Amino acid sequence: MEFRNALAATTVSVLTLAAAASAQAWTIGITQNNVGVDSYQTTYEKAFIAAAQANSDVEAVVLDAGGDVARQIAQMEDLIQQEVDAIIIWPTNGEAVIPAVRKAQKAGIPVIVTNSNIAEEGFPFVASFSGPDNITQGSRAAEIMCDKFKAMGIENEARVVQISGQPGYTTAIERQKGFDDRLPEVCPNVNLVETQPGDWNREKSQKVMEAFLVKYDDIDGVYAGDDNMGVGALNAAKAAGRDGIIFVGATNFAVGYEAMERGEYWGSIYQSPVDDAEAALQTAIDVLSGKEVPFLNYFDTPKITQDNMGDFTKPVF
Amino acid sequence: MQAGTLSSFLKRGAIWGFIVLELIFFTVAGEFLSLSDKAFMDVDNMLLLFKQSAPIGIIAMGMTIIMVNGNIDLSVGATYAISAIVLLDSMTWPVFAGLGDWVIPISWGLALLTGILLGALNGLIVWKTGVDAFIVTLGSMLGYRGLVFMYNGEQPTSHLNWTLVDFAEAQFLGLHTATWFLLIVTALIWLLMNRTVHGRNAYAIGDNRTAAINAGIRVGPHMMINFVIIGFLAALSAVVFYSESGSVNPNDGELYELWVITAVVLGGTKLTGGAGSIVSTFGGVLAIQLLRKGLAHIGADTETVNLVIGLILIAVLFLDRQLNIKGKEELKV
Repeated sequence: MEFRNALAATTVSVLTLAAAASAQAWTIGITQNNVGVDSYQTTYEKAFIAAAQANSDVEAVVLDAGGDVARQIAQMEDLIQQEVDAIIIWPTNGEAVIPAVRKAQKAGIPVIVTNSNIAEEGFPFVASFSGPDNITQGSRAAEIMCDKFKAMGIENEARVVQISGQPGYTTAIERQKGFDDRLPEVCPNVNLVETQPGDWNREKSQKVMEAFLVKYDDIDGVYAGDDNMGVGALNAAKAAGRDGIIFVGATNFAVGYEAMERGEYWGSIYQSPVDDAEAALQTAIDVLSGKEVPFLNYFDTPKITQDNMGDFTKPVF
Repeated sequence: MQAGTLSSFLKRGAIWGFIVLELIFFTVAGEFLSLSDKAFMDVDNMLLLFKQSAPIGIIAMGMTIIMVNGNIDLSVGATYAISAIVLLDSMTWPVFAGLGDWVIPISWGLALLTGILLGALNGLIVWKTGVDAFIVTLGSMLGYRGLVFMYNGEQPTSHLNWTLVDFAEAQFLGLHTATWFLLIVTALIWLLMNRTVHGRNAYAIGDNRTAAINAGIRVGPHMMINFVIIGFLAALSAVVFYSESGSVNPNDGELYELWVITAVVLGGTKLTGGAGSIVSTFGGVLAIQLLRKGLAHIGADTETVNLVIGLILIAVLFLDRQLNIKGKEELKV
């Protein structure tokens, strides 16, 4: 018995770290996907807690599903039972959580989906989606590339290859669509010769690029669906001794940022987990205060190139 | 009082004492730390507790028999995932296209059959090769998980059927569908362990396998039946859970084997076999879910939850050992 009491005492001391409750305007619950699995999600959680603490109108119940769908559904049920004012969910599985989201909606609690959206069947039960706009990311990447070609004076002859994300992923499809549509608008004479999937994987992307380099003697630009794949392609070009290729990626990773510092990689799209978290909280607050919120509520993901990279801190992931 | 009665009472009662302690602690701490205006012991919250205990709890009942046998089954998480895939995918098979919602019982049947077959395979290997169940099911844990990934790669397998969701979300006499399944399974396995020859044999085999063989118990087939039972229950757990969620990630059910074993051990079942109780396992399952729920209620993060559960597991085993030593000393006097 003494032992158990001692244990309980330890538990208490661990938990004194948690903030004391007080009467506030709104209680907002968040159930995250898997904090700690990568630094994007870890930074997201820290930023979310900081933003909630800075706002005196909000008390946040911050939960993490640990990647487990069952635990996320249980957390949704708990938040509904606790009668929080709004729930933010980062889905562990875009379809499995739909019934739980419906439950919240039935209980009159608005649900905000953050970072990656749930499947379309669940849209009627969701107040708003807060996250990155991948089509815009794709078109901005096209603009970065075109601007660079213009600066180099090769906008009428340049040839470009594209390495896309994993087939079937919404993010991959949308980024490719954004790039494919925007490039001919800004640089009508640039020729996109071929697109192959790199599956978000650096090694796969490197192989794809090796094949491109053998196939085409003249490649001026490479667009990759994220920096991870972009750096894979860069490595292939370096190994083959091909200089002067303009690499543009998306979701600026630390590896991409470093390659930009070395002057080997031209640009990317900067997607900050801090912006992602703050946008989710703001969307929830706007929904609760009755403001008109677009169903797809995107946060800004700016262009980053070697020219302006000093304005951005190095990504942590 | 007879020697040993007190210690066995303490052992049996320990888990329930622990649950009461948890309830008191979270109720009091919740008053100060929780952001919710609702009490922790709110009726709805307690009903949810039972419901949320179901996925681990249903499997834990099977694991209790396996562990009373002196065996272990590490493949339940993977079996759970495969059964879930069969459940959701079979609803979209063109063969059953004309059936409408009548496809639901068929898909349930197929999922349960999958669990039975996978369990039987484990049991057969343990029986015929004599290799330790730990090794056999370690292998099948990896192998079955491999099958899950072969089926659909990294992609989730999904099929949302609202009739099914409505059934799974229903509450009969106040209890959720999943709770009913958990209670019925607990009752049936309790009957099996306490009122049938099979159940008695399970204890005998776990206590002393040689003596059991000498007494004429057919140990191999007995163990195989138990593996079939746990395979069935892993599949049933998947059926109950995925009826309500409609999409399975390929890594779903990972670490379930460890949570299940934790619950069973918390309930006082010995890893060496021969002793264990279904009712106490039920307590163990509730204790874990209560801890998860309670710590989230007062605003602790996931890492803290795992840390506390780990500490408590060690504490329980330590307590169990101390009580056993005391029991032996009393016998010597």
